[in-house]
Amino acid sequence: MSAALGKTSYRDRTPEFLSVAERLKKSISSGSNADVSSSSSGKPDGTRSAVAVQSEFNKRASKIGFGIHQTSQKLSKLAKLAKRTSVFDDPTMEIQELTAVIKQDITALNAAVVDLQLVCNSQNESGNISTDTTTHSTTVVDNLKNRLMGATKEFKEVLTMRTENLKVHENRRQLFSSSASKDAANPFVRQRPLASRSTASASPAPPPPWANGSASSSSSQLFPSRQSDVESQPLLPQQHQQRQQQQQQQQQMVPLQDSYMQSRAEALHNVESTIHELSSIFTQLATMVSQQGELAIRIDENMDDTLTNVEGAQGQLVRYLNSISSNRWLMIKIFFVLVVFLMIFLFFVA
Amino acid sequence: MKITALLVLKCESESSDPVILANASDVSHFGYFQRPSVREFIVFVGRTVARRTPSGQRQSVQHEEYKVHAYNRNGLCAVGFMDDHYPVRSSFSLLNQVIDEYQKNFGESWRSAQTDSTQTWQYLNEALVKFQDPAEADKLLRIQRELDETKIILHKTIDSVLARGEKLDSLVEKSSDLSAASQVTYPTKLHPICFFSLMKP
Repeated sequence: MSAALGKTSYRDRTPEFLSVAERLKKSISSGSNADVSSSSSGKPDGTRSAVAVQSEFNKRASKIGFGIHQTSQKLSKLAKLAKRTSVFDDPTMEIQELTAVIKQDITALNAAVVDLQLVCNSQNESGNISTDTTTHSTTVVDNLKNRLMGATKEFKEVLTMRTENLKVHENRRQLFSSSASKDAANPFVRQRPLASRSTASASPAPPPPWANGSASSSSSQLFPSRQSDVESQPLLPQQHQQRQQQQQQQQQMVPLQDSYMQSRAEALHNVESTIHELSSIFTQLATMVSQQGELAIRIDENMDDTLTNVEGAQGQLVRYLNSISSNRWLMIKIFFVLVVFLMIFLFFVA
Repeated sequence: MKITALLVLKCESESSDPVILANASDVSHFGYFQRPSVREFIVFVGRTVARRTPSGQRQSVQHEEYKVHAYNRNGLCAVGFMDDHYPVRSSFSLLNQVIDEYQKNFGESWRSAQTDSTQTWQYLNEALVKFQDPAEADKLLRIQRELDETKIILHKTIDSVLARGEKLDSLVEKSSDLSAASQVTYPTKLHPICFFSLMKP
């Protein structure tokens, strides 16, 4: 198996393995015989059924590996074709066929790998096989899955490259073609209804972008189909050929439905996230307001302190004023008394 | 963001032309002499698009400067001509509403129609005028818009609350300065000498 696929990184030790297996087979006890036969379909030689199951696994794994190899070869051919496309010599039919074939192969290989994994899991759970076998089978399955994933990724890359190429071609074609659809100066476009009405009776040429049968691949026809494609965005873009546009129209219908539903779902998600943001903004607002409430309380206390201080100061001043004014009276009285005493003294002495 | 026309048609199958059941169009922004031809064009394109829309499907087609959206439900098809800016989702919800309204009003009588009906359906004309703003048609869009406005208002509120916080900070400082100053000017007992020392500063 590993010989055919050059990308793998393990050595081929099958002959050593076979010799070890023969040695083990000779020395294997009857206990394992009984266990394996009870889990298998009742064959007398249990080891042989285990080996048969294992070789079945190996056969399938090798088939899958071979399939993957072939698919990757086809993929490389497709990549070469896609790179090669020129403006006029478009091997689109081959590319489409090859794409379809590769897609089928990949889906078949996917299903086969899933089956193989189921077999491997059932084996691991049911039979009393050695841990080496289980790890080997799981490793093989994982390896195959990885390779299949690599092939699918390459496939997608090739398809994207092809669409880009085709877009570039379309742009170049529009540059050189003469039909007037893109210079949408309004008077130009408004006169189109007149023009289309005169030709409408003749043939339904302008409106339906999916009109098949009209031979010339005029860019104005392709451009509307491109637009509706861009709108619906199918995963595997299959565009640009009028013969296939009807079939494509079917395929775009379901993606358009999906995209409508998806856009609604997206809008709902947006609404929900906006509401969450709003709630967080509200909580922040509440925190800030409560913090500022504390500040207001501090200011209030400071003002109360100031008020009491100033009132006390005012009382003191009033008292002092009283004491000052009353002091004068006191001094006058004392002076009077002194003067009276002086007078008496002077009277008695003189 | 503009709706140019709304049509309701009956589509039977791919082979026969759909029958127009109701038609409302706003061609006022075309020149006077182009209006009939534009109406014809609308009728024709609407018929073709409706014909190609399978039952139970929605479809959008780009045609020159218009997007034509079509929704076919069990043979009753609604077609709308909108410009590029009109969101796709709103247009489909609008078509949904139109179809529901039509079925409510006319029941099943449209199934027997064979020729284009020429009588105007008032609801369609009103709808054409009302739904020029896509928020009217699409509730999700309207909710989103209102939520965005609320968010803007809340941002402004938070900005003003921050300014209020700064003012409160300055007030706290001033009040603490005041109380400290008043404590300086408040000795427990006033004495003439203290009084004179206070007079100086």
